[in-house]
Amino acid sequence: MSSTKRYWMDAADLNKDPEVMKGREQEFPQELAIDQVLGDKTFAGANTGRRDFLKFLGFSLGAATLAACETPVIKSIPYVNKPEDITPGVANWYASTFYDGQDFASILVKTREGRPIHIKGNPQFGINRNPGLDKGVVNARIIGSVLSLYDGERVKGPRKNVLGDSANTHEGVDWSTADKAIGDGLAAADTAGKRIVVLSNTLASPSTSAAIAALKVKHATVEHVQVDAISYCGVTGANLKSFGKRVFPGYDFTKADVIVSVDADFLSSWGPTTETTWQYALKRNPSAGMSKHFQVEARMSITGANADVRIPVKQSELPLAVIALHDAVANKTGGTAVGGGLDNEHVSQAADALVNAKGRCVVIAGSNNEGVQILVNNINLMLGNYGTTIDLDRHSMLYQGDDAAMAQLITDMNAGSIGALIMAGVNPIYSLPNAAEFKAGLAKVGLTVSCSRYADETASLCQWNCPDNHYLESWNDYMPKVGSYALGQPTIGKLFNTRSWQGSLLKWGGSDVKYRDLIEQTWQANLASHGAVAGLFGDVWNQSVHDGVYPPAGVTIPVAATALTFDATLIPTAGAAAKQAASGAGDFELTLYTTEAIGDGQHANNPWLQEMPDPLAKITWDNYVCMSFADVAKLGLNDHLGEQAPASLVTVKAGDQQITLPVVPSPGQKSGTIAIALGYGRGANGEKVGMAACTTDHNGVYGPVGRNAYPFTSLVNGAISYDALNVTVTATGEEYPIAITQTHLTHMDRHSIVRETSLATFAAGDKNAYNPPHTLPIHEDTNGDGVIDSRDKAPVAEFDLWAEHPVEGVGHRWGLSIDLNSCIGCGACITACNSENNISVVGKDEVRRSREMHWLRLDRYYSSDTHWEEGREAGESKIALYAKMEVPSSSPKVFFMPVMCQHCNHAPCETVCPVAATTHSNEGLNQMTYNRCIGTRYCANNCPYKVRRFNWFNYVSDKFAEVNPAWDDLGRMVLNPDVTVRSRGVIEKCSMCVQNIQAGKLAAKEAGTPVMDGSIETACSAACGTGAIVFGDLNDKKSMVKGLAGSDRSYYMLEEIGVKPNVNYLVKVRNSEEEAQHA
Amino acid sequence: MKLVGPALKGIKAKWEGKGDIYAWVKNSQVYLKTGNSMATAIWEEYKPTPMTPMALSNEEIDAAFYYVDNYAPAVTAKKEVVVEPVAANDNNWLWLVIVALLFLVVGLSLAGVKRDLRNSVLEAEGKAPVPDLPRMQRISNWVGEHKVIVGLGSLFITVWLMMLAWDAAWVIGVYGGDEVPHYKPEQPILFNHTLHAGKVDQGNLAINCQYCHSGAEKSKHAGIPSTNVCMNCHKAVDTGRNTGKTEIAKIYAATGWDPGKMAFTGKEQPIRWIKVHNLPDLAFFSHAQHVAVGKLECQECHGPIDVQMDVAEQWSPLTMGWCIQCHAQKEVKMAGNGYYDEVMARLNGDENLGHAELKKYLEDGKITVKELGGWECSKCHY
Repeated sequence: MSSTKRYWMDAADLNKDPEVMKGREQEFPQELAIDQVLGDKTFAGANTGRRDFLKFLGFSLGAATLAACETPVIKSIPYVNKPEDITPGVANWYASTFYDGQDFASILVKTREGRPIHIKGNPQFGINRNPGLDKGVVNARIIGSVLSLYDGERVKGPRKNVLGDSANTHEGVDWSTADKAIGDGLAAADTAGKRIVVLSNTLASPSTSAAIAALKVKHATVEHVQVDAISYCGVTGANLKSFGKRVFPGYDFTKADVIVSVDADFLSSWGPTTETTWQYALKRNPSAGMSKHFQVEARMSITGANADVRIPVKQSELPLAVIALHDAVANKTGGTAVGGGLDNEHVSQAADALVNAKGRCVVIAGSNNEGVQILVNNINLMLGNYGTTIDLDRHSMLYQGDDAAMAQLITDMNAGSIGALIMAGVNPIYSLPNAAEFKAGLAKVGLTVSCSRYADETASLCQWNCPDNHYLESWNDYMPKVGSYALGQPTIGKLFNTRSWQGSLLKWGGSDVKYRDLIEQTWQANLASHGAVAGLFGDVWNQSVHDGVYPPAGVTIPVAATALTFDATLIPTAGAAAKQAASGAGDFELTLYTTEAIGDGQHANNPWLQEMPDPLAKITWDNYVCMSFADVAKLGLNDHLGEQAPASLVTVKAGDQQITLPVVPSPGQKSGTIAIALGYGRGANGEKVGMAACTTDHNGVYGPVGRNAYPFTSLVNGAISYDALNVTVTATGEEYPIAITQTHLTHMDRHSIVRETSLATFAAGDKNAYNPPHTLPIHEDTNGDGVIDSRDKAPVAEFDLWAEHPVEGVGHRWGLSIDLNSCIGCGACITACNSENNISVVGKDEVRRSREMHWLRLDRYYSSDTHWEEGREAGESKIALYAKMEVPSSSPKVFFMPVMCQHCNHAPCETVCPVAATTHSNEGLNQMTYNRCIGTRYCANNCPYKVRRFNWFNYVSDKFAEVNPAWDDLGRMVLNPDVTVRSRGVIEKCSMCVQNIQAGKLAAKEAGTPVMDGSIETACSAACGTGAIVFGDLNDKKSMVKGLAGSDRSYYMLEEIGVKPNVNYLVKVRNSEEEAQHA
Repeated sequence: MKLVGPALKGIKAKWEGKGDIYAWVKNSQVYLKTGNSMATAIWEEYKPTPMTPMALSNEEIDAAFYYVDNYAPAVTAKKEVVVEPVAANDNNWLWLVIVALLFLVVGLSLAGVKRDLRNSVLEAEGKAPVPDLPRMQRISNWVGEHKVIVGLGSLFITVWLMMLAWDAAWVIGVYGGDEVPHYKPEQPILFNHTLHAGKVDQGNLAINCQYCHSGAEKSKHAGIPSTNVCMNCHKAVDTGRNTGKTEIAKIYAATGWDPGKMAFTGKEQPIRWIKVHNLPDLAFFSHAQHVAVGKLECQECHGPIDVQMDVAEQWSPLTMGWCIQCHAQKEVKMAGNGYYDEVMARLNGDENLGHAELKKYLEDGKITVKELGGWECSKCHY
């Protein structure tokens, strides 16, 4: 029965209102027109239906698929005349020299098809060579310098600056125009009777001095002033007063059984670190006469982190600590005391240790105060260190900058008595304390020429910018130390229309000699003066170009020994000067320091370095105020930093200078002191100082990375002081996101991660006392007490879920051994890995989201005052204990731990990959196959070491143009052609430089010999000049790595999880009486 | 100016009694000063480039002349180069289509004949003839009556099409091997590999491959020779057998050689060759490993380039399957290489354990590339 009932939707339905019903015939009424939603007239005009849309979609999908199938035609263009020594596909290595005014290193440059792509230390020659390992010490800045060659913001040719133009437009000219105008300018200075000044950093280059001399032939008034961004005038001035030699001494830490450093960060930033680092490392072997290292300092430096005894004192107390050392040593050796030294138990201990090691110790101080340094000289003199650990005959030729001469120059410039100023290697407007006066003076100089490679702070204010070559494009020579010469040779043709500044000097001096020929002439003359050239000079020269240095192995240039006379009447004055430097009355005392990554600021444009986490703070892309936890709490600032936990901003004010920076709570920072890194804040006025110096911040504002702290420096008694003892710190109440790569501070007594012991325990020889095998509870009565309980344990090795992986004993088994005792935390390995493996730079915002791509990270752990067992015995609750263990000690011990893929033989990542993109090789490598990876990231989640990195974006794209060097054609030249550039959506990780392994094996096969131990290096092991990272074949019973892996100090990280890594670590040994707790 | 010196065959006999050929060979410029007529005549014809003095003994000179006088081109044993004839796929296809069309035509006409015959039978029996329905109608009727056949048939066709698509997908981006036409781009210079590298007895020059592709033994790239390598010969050879002067003139243009003046002008223009063998960036391939260590012949991958390739083409598919298939079969050439001696020593392992490892490897009597890790990802992908 059909229903006759009718239902109406509404009155219109009942009444059959034709207007309404017409609309209802359609599913959607007309009024729902989509143009209202889109509000876009162009859309409204379109009459594309849904079906058409789908058709287009289908077509484009098909077309795109088909188009992707078509292989593009690839051109291959061989040389017209192939250079004899280039074989495409085979790398050439050239010996050269890096020197930037701060670091000096003999290096090897790897070139592929004529492009420099990688730098490592020269393993055979140079002052930075570690003879114990045959490796050259280099740091992150030196390795990273290859990238600055390909910086698109370099000045591409001579330019005439239009001064006073707010847009600062530069007029590109050709060299002949520039040379003519500069020649005229110099002649005009001569005519006006004004002086011509060449202003540079410390040259230490005999041939550059010869080029300046050549300029002087034509212009008699030429004067040469040297000034360094980081001044050592206090040291050189003290040596002048003490011994009549204005030099930085040569040190030999290999002969020092006791090292006392008062605020001298000699492993990272003070003096010739590439030399002192290996010397120090050689004496840190616990099995062979380990040195004892005391460090007195206010901020936690890398050197302090490595010290056996670290004595935190306030910045203002550092000179008093030197006086205390001086007096204690004087009292014991019959010298004259100064009086008024710091009363500190540990300082007295240090003095005792020194006196017990007379002639086998060294005292250094980081202060740039002449008085302090004279006292240090006297301490060393009283201890008989001159001639053993300190050498004033073979002294350093670096650090000759003269702040007083610079001050005089500024006065003269302002007085209008300087006719022309030629600058190279300096950036005074950025780095001088009295930059404003310099700027004012610059305007009064008739001719101003900058040879800077960038239109930087100073160059953009000069009339002419005559860009120097990059050092990898130039010939140069150096004399880093008396009796050592070094050569820099070009490894690529000039990329831009630049000219070496020495070449410019020669040109302006009217000389036709090429700079390279001048170097050869200078060498011939210098070597002849040493009576050193026995055979033909041509042979010696060729050998020197090949080695990068003179003298070659087995030859020594004799240096006459001079007797030292010390004027004891200097002591009271020096003591007074030291005490004067110790007067501080402010809320806070500020230390200015240079970081491992950025140094004095020249390399602030280098993205690899900006993204390298600071070894201690683990912060990238910023400088910040280091402050003790106590002061952070006192000021009510954020004490925990992370992705969601921004830092508090504070304004630091000293005199009339102030900057606003985030605060980073820093364990080890002495309460009442703060520290700020120099070298940041480049290009603050929009100068183009290089690619990564400026970025877009979280507010979308384009500006410099960090803030410039150089204005806080001051000229005190003719030397620049890097302390400001009277500063105020005010919280602004704002917050600032910070990119930090390690948010936890302590290892929380997890001794399966880091292990340490004291030298005494180690020397006693009982492995179980400091490196016990890891055990797990087992359901068997292993201890034989008749009950099965948690005390019944068995070594981890007895537990195995998996069948043994067949890598032991068959073929190769590659492995790394990492010595926590030799690792000083410099981070050279990170940059070397970046360079070797084409690792993307991702920028601050991505790092902040924990998306940094580094294959190798450097974990840093501070010790805590709270320990598990003691706490439990005292009856504390577990939760409270854990919380306390997270808090680092106020004067902590520090561990540095390089962590890369551990290449587990039972790798957890391999078992979870759904597409077998990560597999194990029969050589023990955990392989990662990018083209198979579909990006599930299961492997990263299952990795106990968290060493796998995911490409969240295509980092090599213009989206990351500000930070990623490899996105444009110029920057791409730095890429290693043997390593795939990874794209979005794949996991990557340490491959143990499998490209080097394959190349090394091939070389061995071609030579028909077994792979020699040491012939294959990973980038990190080659970069590690202290020998902390050793690579080799664990199946080669004679290999170094096999020996280390089997040694008593060897352990595996997180051994209890049984993943059987091919990377082992060696227990850290500290030479301190204080027993390492809970090793 | 002549670039090639006088022919040497029978030269000793020619000089017999007319001069001291030994003195002439040892130092032609000194001997010239004696005013010997033979020497002067040769110098006049070939100057100004003198022959370099030779530190040879008379016996050595005699030996050299003996070799020249008695030289006969060596008869090379014919090496079997297995050349798979390229299957004439195109023709087969055409024939299949023609036969299929023929069958269709025959079938349709037979169907018409059958219907006519049946209708005449029905007519004869006095029944109504089968109505002459439109063809589509008839087909759909037939389909309706034979659902199982049609269903199975469509399934078969679908599967067949999918298999075709599957096979086609496998050769996307593959430009070598048996299944696809070989990639053979037109090069800027009509360089003839057969002419340069082919057999002497076929009138070719038999230049060793690595004379030009010198990187093959020491680098990952075999390398395209730089123009100066071409000029080693083509300074003298300005006319080609097949192309006359046109193609060689392109080398001259590239290298900046003026054949008229016999001098370089300095105007260089690199030749933009088109790369024939393209591996994806993610695959690392080293020629040195295969040529210097594996001792493979070029032809094993590049085909009979010296026999039948006037223009170079991609012979092998260069797919990963092709790579690893070879790795699975090839025996590692270990003999006489100290590197492999060490590998073997480690495989031998502990004698007390009865060389268990080695036995495992030698189950099939040989150690293949795969067994030493030739199938592992990171051997080629990093």
